[in-house]
Order: sequence, then C-alpha cells, then structure tokens
Amino acid sequence: MLVDLLQNTLDGLMLGSAYALLALGFTLIFGVLRRANLAYGPAIMLGAYAATWVHLQFHPGVLVLAAVTIAGATLAGAYVERLCFAPHGRRGAGDAGAIASMVGSFALWMQLEEAATLWLPKHLYGFPPLYDGPPLGLGPLTLRVEYLAMLVCATLVCFGLHRLLNRTRFGLAVRAVVDQADAARLAGINVPRVFMLVFALASALGGLAGYLIVAAHEQVTPMLGMWSTLKGMIAMMLGGLGSLPGAVVGGLALGLIESHSQWLFGPQYRDLIAFLILFALLAVRPSGLWAMLRRSPAPAP
Amino acid sequence: MSEAVLEISDVVTAYGKIEALKGVTLSVARGSITCLLGPNGAGKTTLMMTASGILRPRRGSIRFGGAEIAGRAPHDIVARGIALVPENRLVFPHMTVTENLAAGAYQRDDKGAIAEDIARLFTRFPNLKERAAQDAGTLSGGEQQMLAVARALMSRPKLLLMDEPSLGLAPLIVEEIFRIIAELNRDGTTIFLVEQNAHMALKVAHHFYLIEQGRVTFSGSPGALAEDEVIRRAYLGSVRH
Repeated sequence: MLVDLLQNTLDGLMLGSAYALLALGFTLIFGVLRRANLAYGPAIMLGAYAATWVHLQFHPGVLVLAAVTIAGATLAGAYVERLCFAPHGRRGAGDAGAIASMVGSFALWMQLEEAATLWLPKHLYGFPPLYDGPPLGLGPLTLRVEYLAMLVCATLVCFGLHRLLNRTRFGLAVRAVVDQADAARLAGINVPRVFMLVFALASALGGLAGYLIVAAHEQVTPMLGMWSTLKGMIAMMLGGLGSLPGAVVGGLALGLIESHSQWLFGPQYRDLIAFLILFALLAVRPSGLWAMLRRSPAPAP
Repeated sequence: MSEAVLEISDVVTAYGKIEALKGVTLSVARGSITCLLGPNGAGKTTLMMTASGILRPRRGSIRFGGAEIAGRAPHDIVARGIALVPENRLVFPHMTVTENLAAGAYQRDDKGAIAEDIARLFTRFPNLKERAAQDAGTLSGGEQQMLAVARALMSRPKLLLMDEPSLGLAPLIVEEIFRIIAELNRDGTTIFLVEQNAHMALKVAHHFYLIEQGRVTFSGSPGALAEDEVIRRAYLGSVRH
C-alpha cells in the first residue's frame, strides 16, 4: 500500500515534469505576449511528425530525432507567430487583437493537423524509444529512464530559463517588454523581434517536451497536438497565469493528480478528476497554486 | 535661429478618424531648449509619440539631422539619437533601478562605457544610487521622474524629448528637474520639452511654440511669449511675478 502510494507519487512527478516542460513553453508565450497560442501543441506535433518521417527514411540515432523534433516545432512555431501573432502583436492592442490571434491560432491548429495527416496518412506511427533497457529499480520502486530524462530536462530548462531571463541582454529585453511594453520600445528595444524570439524559444522548449513524450510513448498520432496544448494550458492554469515557477508547480501538480486519481478511481476517471480539480481551484483561487504557495497576490510574470 | 536638428513639417497624426495633429510644422534648433505649450488635448503628447515612432503619422515629414524618420520604428529612432522621457514616467516597475538604466542602454554594446555612464548618472542623481537595487515601482514620483530622465540619457541621445516632466510633482522637485534640464542642455544636449508649467519653462527655454487643437498657433522667443496678451492670460495669468 505504502509502496503503491510512493510509486504513484514518483510516477506522477515524472509525468508532471513532461507537463511542466510543456507548460513552460506555453507560459513563456502567454507571459510575454499575453496571448494564448492554441497552435502550440500542433506545432510540437508537426515537429514529431518531421522526426517520424526522418526516422522512417533514414533510421538515425536518438539525438538526431530529438534535434529534428525541436527544429520542426520551432519552425512551425515561427510560422504560427508570423501569421497569427505578429500582425496583432502589440500588447494592449485591445481585445480584438487578442481574439484575432487566438482564433487565428485555432485555424492554424486545424491546418497543421491536416498537413501532418496528408504528409503521413496512417493514424498511428511507431516512434523509437529513447532508451531500450529495463526500468531502474529503487528498492521496491521502479523508475523508467524516459521519465527520469524528462525530470532532468525540466530541471535544466528551469535553471537555464532563469539564467537567460536574469543574466543576459536578451533576458533584460524580455523582462522590460513584460514590465512596460511602451517604455521598452522607447528604450530602443525592438519589441516585435523580442516577441518572435520568445515564440521561437517557447516552441523549441515545446519541441523538446514533445520529443521526450513521443519517445516515452513510442508512438505518434495527430492527437499529440491537441493533447500538448491542453496539458500545457491546464498546467499553466493550475500553476498561475504567465508565471514560470507556476508552470513547473502546475505541471508537477497535474502529474500527481493524474497518477493518483488513475490509481484510486481507474484510468477512465483520470482526466475527469484533473478537470474537476482545475475547475475547483479556478473558482477558489484563480491566480493559481504558485500564488497560493507564496501567499501573495497574483505575481507579475 | 541656428541650424535645426529636428524639423517637423505638416505632420498629421490621427486616432482612427480623429486627427489629433492637423498639420504641425515646427523646428528645434541644435543646442537649444525648445518648449511646447498647450492646453490638455491639444496634441502635445501625440506629437512626442509621433516624433519617437510610437505613433505613425498619416502625413508629413519629420527630419532629424537631415534624415527622414517619420514612420520609422522606435528602436531605429533611439539608435539615431532621439530619446523620449514619456509622460507619467513609465519606468519598469518590477525591475531594479540599475536594470532600468541598463535597459535604457539597450541599443549600445559598449559594456565598459555603459557601466561608466551608470556611475556618472548615480553621481548626478544621488537618490537613485541609494536605491540602485530597489524595484523602480517602490520609488517616489520624483525619484521615478529622475530615473526616467536618467534612463533616457543612457542611450546617449543627441535630442532629448520630455513630455511634461513636472506633472504631479512637488514644487521643490519641479525646480530640481528644471535645474537638471538646464544642466543637460549646458552639457550639449538639445531638449524639446512639453510643459504646462509655463513659469518654470520661461526660466530655461530659448524658444516657445504653442499648440492648440492640433495646430501650432504661436512661435517665438520667451520675451515674445511673455508679451503676448492672450498667452499671458491663459498660461501665466494667475501667478505672481
């Protein structure tokens, strides 16, 4: 019983680090542009399809597949940015701009999904695993190497992002844009360019998450797009809108909720319970878990 | 008048169908302090936003140092040597004072000189030095205004635009701001200033424009301004000499 509880917690944390990675990219875009990018997951899916195609043609090693997924997601993300977000990019351009970019990203979601199924028409493709061996044993507990890789990557990405935002010239520009967009423009910061780079970076992070996820599941379907957008968005909402630490907390929380509710109530109730908890949390504390942990008002991103 | 560094001619800027500037023509002489007076809603801020590239003019020409800059992006205009201290300061509230200054130098890549400039500005603004590691949002209004000026100077502008730097500040702070404006001008910076406080502006500015309902209605020296009966009543009226 205790072993089950621990094992579920461990599984939840590992699954949660994949969600955290997804949420970091989603949150980065939301935090900087104040726009929800619904095509975030589909761009990741397209990256995974590119890797699948490369795999079918050339059977390269895992590093090449990871690189192709990340590059594909970044390119697809940049395409989404140019079409949906650059034209309505100004923060404070009003509700019309926010709605136009969100609906536009929904249209591109459909477009990317169609493109993927035209490219590789079967519903499901196998994907080579990251690691072929048995899971690691930790006493009575087991740990899959793929999930350990997710945890390691999520941790590294967190520290990397923190450094990037706080120690570099680019990070200074991003924080300035988030803090006071008009002042940033007057300070000589090329705001549209910052938006584009943030978008590309977020899509690359999504691509990394996407690679780790398909390599763990060993399969790719067009559903990956919707799945990634949903998980990234739910984790962001749980953690707190636009807050990067919140994205990590929200991702881990979502993983824990899913693994425990699956164990307690069965897999058919897993998502239902996750949505129920999200709904309850949003009703009580709309600023999310991170703000709750810090016991302060909703933080600026 | 000596050579004009900024020449604005027939500039029209509109918000949708409403023209806030209806063909503004004026010029700022190199090395001068030029002051733009006018009532609320006359288009003063719109003109500043247009000159710094935040707003795009519908028509007309803005030449800076001979080159056309109308409609160019703000970062391009900063790189050419114009910096705006915006109305209501607009500091970066969640960034430290030092980070605010570093952001002002974003176009520059001479790290050593940037650090020197920050140190120099800290000597000029000792209050800012004391609060170097504090978030700008925690500063008083006067300190934020000083920070906004210092941040604009970090780009080493040839022309400093200032939009109502005295707005909402205590009289002592206003005097301090105008002392700094005069100092900066003595050090060689051309200044184009929007001001409601005509009395303070009269002490420092070399040339005045009056803008009303999107049009320039007066242009002249401080002496001519003080002699103009209508302007005197509107802008200098109630205050004792």
